Amino acid sequence: MAVGNVGVVAATRPPLRVRVRELLDRERVLGPLFIAPALILIVLLVAYPFCVALYFSVSNAFIGRPSHFVGLKNFINLWGSDAFRQTFQNAFVFTGTAVACKLVSGISLALLLNQQLWFKRLIRGAVLLPWVIPTALSTLGWWWMFNSLYSVVNWTGIALGLMEPPGPNWLGQKYYAMTAVVVVNVWRGLPFFAITILAGLVSIPRELYEAAEADGAGPVTRFWYITLPLLKPVLAVVVLFSTIFTFSDFNIVYVLTHGGPVNSTHLFATLSRQVGLESGRIGEGAAISLYLFPVLVLVVYAQLKFVRKQTY
Amino acid sequence: MALSRRAFLTASGGGVAAILASRIPPARGQQWEISYLCWNNFAPASDKKLSEIGQRFTKDTGIRIRIDHIAHPQQPSKYASEVQTQAGHDLVEMRMHFPWLYEPQLVDVSDLVAELERKHGKVLSSGYEGAHVNGIWRAVPQYHGMFLAAYREDLFKKAGLKVPDTWEDLYKVGRELKKMGHPIGIPISQNYDSISTASAVRWCYGSTEVDRDGKTVAINSPQTIEVVEWYKKVYRDCMEPEVLSWSDASNNESLQQGKAGWIHNPVSAYIVARDKKLVTADGLNHHRSLAGPAGRHETDVPRSIGIWKFSKRIEPAKEWIRYLLGKREVYDEYIMSGSAFNLPIYTNLQDHPVLKTDPKYAALRNEGAQYHTYGWPAPPSDKVQLITNSFILPNMLAKAVTGTPTREAIAWAENEMQKIIAGS
Repeated sequence: MAVGNVGVVAATRPPLRVRVRELLDRERVLGPLFIAPALILIVLLVAYPFCVALYFSVSNAFIGRPSHFVGLKNFINLWGSDAFRQTFQNAFVFTGTAVACKLVSGISLALLLNQQLWFKRLIRGAVLLPWVIPTALSTLGWWWMFNSLYSVVNWTGIALGLMEPPGPNWLGQKYYAMTAVVVVNVWRGLPFFAITILAGLVSIPRELYEAAEADGAGPVTRFWYITLPLLKPVLAVVVLFSTIFTFSDFNIVYVLTHGGPVNSTHLFATLSRQVGLESGRIGEGAAISLYLFPVLVLVVYAQLKFVRKQTY
Repeated sequence: MALSRRAFLTASGGGVAAILASRIPPARGQQWEISYLCWNNFAPASDKKLSEIGQRFTKDTGIRIRIDHIAHPQQPSKYASEVQTQAGHDLVEMRMHFPWLYEPQLVDVSDLVAELERKHGKVLSSGYEGAHVNGIWRAVPQYHGMFLAAYREDLFKKAGLKVPDTWEDLYKVGRELKKMGHPIGIPISQNYDSISTASAVRWCYGSTEVDRDGKTVAINSPQTIEVVEWYKKVYRDCMEPEVLSWSDASNNESLQQGKAGWIHNPVSAYIVARDKKLVTADGLNHHRSLAGPAGRHETDVPRSIGIWKFSKRIEPAKEWIRYLLGKREVYDEYIMSGSAFNLPIYTNLQDHPVLKTDPKYAALRNEGAQYHTYGWPAPPSDKVQLITNSFILPNMLAKAVTGTPTREAIAWAENEMQKIIAGS
């Protein structure tokens, strides 16, 4: 009897291909399956290194030596360092100034690119160039432009009568050096702002402008009451991303000033490299790079909440 | 003669059976392969020669070697990742104090160094400071490249200036050079050349950052005040503010492009000018290191070869070091290829033929100079290295020359150093 039952079950079971197809038809199976590769990558390449960095930051880890848990000691001790306090201040000045400049110039450039221009596609493509070129490479170009011996910036300024010879010592004086790194960051980040804002501009219905024009609204009024409110969600996302990227910038400062003069352009990433890799103190290095993590989490949370409110 | 299918099968089958029966892999299969990671040498011909020597090594010993190069700023991060992952190259080239940073991860190579010292004489003091860690050689000294003075001999002759012998003499000629439009080029910025010059001046005036005990910060001293005051007057009367923004290459470029009249640097500035046939090359020359009230001290950059403990081929790796540094003819060939940028680090080889390849290398004998690495006389512990890598010394000088009172700048440096020494 039992043998007979088994035989019946085996005979009615659909082939493997059919069973797999049926399984894949179920959303509960297919969904996680699609997400799995990305999830595995995120776990391996983002979550794992992040957790290791978190552990390092609360340990006395030194390259190649056993480490011990030290709690928040690294974070507390860092405040004792003049270089760190200076870096903390630099990070806010650098990020605040650069993001503000990128926002204003990004909106202006996007408005310009949204006009009917000759060679529109070519210009839109060219605008992306600074963002496409590897940062280290383009920053080297800027380094030559600011270099004390060959500065084309000073040469031009002097030739036009705008500067007194020999011109500013761009990378050797703290305010000029900060200006230089901000300028390069703005130059590099502007395309990201402009193109993303342009995408937002294109999606605004023309009818709104036509109706406003019919009501006698001028360009400034139209910008203020139509363009800007409808761009808010896009602007929030762009500012969010840019704030995070600018806070964690490394290449520009490393190539242009190496953090100098007298630590006046150091950012968390460059100081972290100096302490963690060049001096072997991985624990302190990790603490430097993660110092602003809680603040950034709050910024991200607030901005995403704002975006959701604007969208829905 | 054509090989029949039957003959091939018989031969190959018999061969496989013989290998299996003997339980010994064929010679090809058991050949070792080692890998060596080193920097992109500033004398590129030296890297080419290294590759040639590597091929000969394989031919002579049957050990294959793969030689990789990376730019020197990438070395710390690459080494850190190899140590953390316990995987990577078998041998690594180490600059200055690297062996101290990676001490627990490096094989004891005292036996190898003893062999080399028997052949070539004692290792120079700077090589000892860099690679002899807590009584054990953690890397084998390979070569060194010290700082000295590179100057525009043509300008000196034209203006009737005497070649300086002390840092104070330099101030006197520096004033004249600046008036001629050819200032002195000493960087005061966050780079390693700044530390190299500041350390040499400091030692010559008897100033110390951290004492021999490695615990007592001693920067706040009358000698350091002298150093700072010297820098202030040289910055004011002999240099231009551009030195505050210089990178490691800027002083070389300034001399090569015809601006600077004197720089403190290894011979690389001249080598590049000569090889690129720059118009300034003929007028350049070198003179020996300058002295101060506490003697004639010079910054040196010793390089050594370490073997990671995680390597599974430690003996073949040692064999490579023996081949490269132990065979006199190979070592000579290697040194010659570096055109006096890489100099022998063993005492009996100091009067090396490479110094006779160009009359402008005569000053490299540098009689009477004592060579040191950063932080001397303190042992180069991780804390002392953090002091160096934090650029406290050049930043102290940069503050002073840009208006901070001398004592305030020194007190700032003392405070920063004390925090590092007191830290965990």
